[in-house]
Amino acid sequence: MTKELERILPLVQKPARYTGGEYRAVVKDKSQVSFRVAFCFPDTYEIGMSNLGMRILYGVMNRIPEVWCERVFAPWGDMEEQLRQNAIPLYGLESGDPIGGFDLIAFSVGYELSYTNILNMLDLAGVPVRRSDRNETHPLVLAGGTCCYDPEPLSDFIDVFSLGEGEEVTVETIRLLQRAKAEHWPRARLLEALAQVPGLYVPSLVDVTYNDDGTIRALAPKHGVKLPVLKRIVSDLNTSYFPTQTIVPSTEIVHDRVMLEVFRGCIRGCRFCQAGYAYRPVRAKDPKLLVEQGIAACKDSGYQEMTLSSLSTSDYRPLVELCDGLLDYCAPRNIGLSLPSLRADNFSMGLMRRLQAVRKSGLTFAPEAGTQRLRDAINKNVTEEDLKQSCRAAFSGGWSSVKLYFMLGLPTETDQDVLGIADLARKVLAWGREYGADQRRGIHVTVSTACFVPKPHTAFQWESQVDMAEYMRRVTLLRENMRDRNITYNWHDPDTSFLEAVLSRGDRRLGAVLYEAWRNGAKFDAWSEYFDLQRWLDAFAACGLDPHFYANRERGEEEVFPWEVTSVGVSRRFFAQERRLAYQAVITPDCRKRCSGCGANQFCEGGKCDA
Amino acid sequence: MPKDRLLFAKEGRARFISHLDLMRTFQRAFVRADIPIKHTEGFNPHPFISIALPLSLGFSSRCEILEFGLLPGVDRAQVPARLNAALPEGLRVLECYAGERGIKDLLWLDYELELDCSRDLAELKDAWNQALSRKSWPVEKPSKKAKSGAVIIDIPTLVKEYTFTETAAGKPALRIVLAAQNPGLNPSVLVKALTDEFPRCSPDHVSYRRLEVLDRDGKTFR
Repeated sequence: MTKELERILPLVQKPARYTGGEYRAVVKDKSQVSFRVAFCFPDTYEIGMSNLGMRILYGVMNRIPEVWCERVFAPWGDMEEQLRQNAIPLYGLESGDPIGGFDLIAFSVGYELSYTNILNMLDLAGVPVRRSDRNETHPLVLAGGTCCYDPEPLSDFIDVFSLGEGEEVTVETIRLLQRAKAEHWPRARLLEALAQVPGLYVPSLVDVTYNDDGTIRALAPKHGVKLPVLKRIVSDLNTSYFPTQTIVPSTEIVHDRVMLEVFRGCIRGCRFCQAGYAYRPVRAKDPKLLVEQGIAACKDSGYQEMTLSSLSTSDYRPLVELCDGLLDYCAPRNIGLSLPSLRADNFSMGLMRRLQAVRKSGLTFAPEAGTQRLRDAINKNVTEEDLKQSCRAAFSGGWSSVKLYFMLGLPTETDQDVLGIADLARKVLAWGREYGADQRRGIHVTVSTACFVPKPHTAFQWESQVDMAEYMRRVTLLRENMRDRNITYNWHDPDTSFLEAVLSRGDRRLGAVLYEAWRNGAKFDAWSEYFDLQRWLDAFAACGLDPHFYANRERGEEEVFPWEVTSVGVSRRFFAQERRLAYQAVITPDCRKRCSGCGANQFCEGGKCDA
Repeated sequence: MPKDRLLFAKEGRARFISHLDLMRTFQRAFVRADIPIKHTEGFNPHPFISIALPLSLGFSSRCEILEFGLLPGVDRAQVPARLNAALPEGLRVLECYAGERGIKDLLWLDYELELDCSRDLAELKDAWNQALSRKSWPVEKPSKKAKSGAVIIDIPTLVKEYTFTETAAGKPALRIVLAAQNPGLNPSVLVKALTDEFPRCSPDHVSYRRLEVLDRDGKTFR
């Protein structure tokens, strides 16, 4: 640790975020490595260290002996101020070395409101923020993560995007970069070579032209680049790398526990859900292997808590076998096992009793919409009866409070649907009073609503977001019709949802807006301490762009989308068909009941998907 | 009451681990090292771990004391090596032993303050000598317990002895023995009082290091 750093650390909040040196942090001998990677997460240490993808790829890269991958997180405002005042460039946590001298700077991008932190981190590293200002003397700047399914808003700043799961393509990319470094390739040659790697998208090799109305006329690839770039997946999760030996932070993080990934993909096909489409096809892990890995991870970390992660854990076929196997180890050692992402429909008493054996955690259901018609329209195949069964099981099993998540502003939503949320909340309260195990304890229901954000690569990618005034009208309508003191209502701030909607379906012209907003101080936009909508509206005005064009405009059936430079493997035809079915409130059965021909089976050998 | 103690060092990057985080870090390290320890009774048992006289964030130390209860099956002699393999960089167990005296007997702390000073060091020494040789020097110290948010302490009663010296690396330093508890004097409070009093000869930066824990007679406490 340098003397300068030693002097500033006592002046900032939670300095342990900036020191590195945690248990299992990988420290290599500099003289033995030939390729340095700065693996950046554009949010705080506590958020970034909770990300399983970061931990997987950190392990994947550091398994290569001559590669040293280090972590970098966005410094909070107080630390940034100290770094800038003392002219300390952003450094890798493991070595403390400035990342501006590394070979590769790779960002994991999972949330649109972290985009400005990417610009800020590059600037703190002393690396030119815009790719047009960089050359082969600078590190290559790469980005991966779910936001890259519409890479265009970031394309002024990122040299190459990695689409889909990174376990394999990251290694291929590093191999290519090592060769380019050894042979001193100019940047242009490197970019052309990268564009030939499946799963990599190089924005400088695509020209975008626009129509007079501001929509895209054409996406024109150059130098033999083929569009769209199809995402990469790992075909067999049983043989792919999983970190059972992983960093144990010395300070508390958000998800401070063992994370055990049960499967990837989702059989459900909720029409609003980008993850549900983008992670297809479903690939499960062997329960015996999971039990082994879960136990190994507990032993190696010393964590007293484990969580099973997936998009919909109750759809894991051998879930009971898995839980029993893990509980045999966890229960006698007082290790808590938690299962988020359980669906309301098949949450069983038996499973709940197993979990309760160790510790009781909160219970949250996400019906997403208040009426059956709207739940059918969004293909959230949960019925009121399902919810009743789950609540009955929960309340009679001793839970006394339930959280319910909904979205407001879903396509086809009417005031009836909004009021349906209040009805449903009151019914849950009544079920609690009827079935509650302890009648003396009060029942409490918490209702949360967020404003729907249409996402690329979903059935609703054509849709307009409701404007903020309309969202707030629906919030007020719901609030005024749900005034029971046993029901708490929380609603998500519409301003951030609006910006999310703009950035998630934006084109590359937004690069100028991001740059302008960042120049004017935008960073940590996901944090209310920093977010300022006016700063963004000013940036749009300065760039002559209208944010409502992106958020509040219904796209034409045939419109060319900026995100069509990428593909998640699900066809546009399928999304269009799902959208038509949404308007008819017709459900699409889950992938286990019937294959709906989305296209993701192209990733499966023999065309058969393991739903 | 558990009787087992660890003597450990907290240095380098680990200096910035806070007291609460340090307890969590040790709890997990015991699990990783497969050393079973006593837990509290009750519905949600948690490991019994207590660290005497929490060290300020950023200070280093080679004499921290952690109390816990070893369960049968592990020999005390094995504990340091096994724990050290399971601890993050900068934390190092030096000794595991049966504690006999109560922590209340731990009355003095021996500190080394490395002084980074771009100004005239002789002037600083003169000024500080003058202050530290006073019979009485009441200073206000922030306190969470006091209603007014501060208490008055009399510095000379809390300083056992001091000398200007050099660190092992040859840097100028103040070696000083300060009261540990009831009330204790944090050396950073002393440095602030000195700096407030003599702003013109204040050091640029001070690195604090605990060297030893002492009993009433100034003998090593274990």
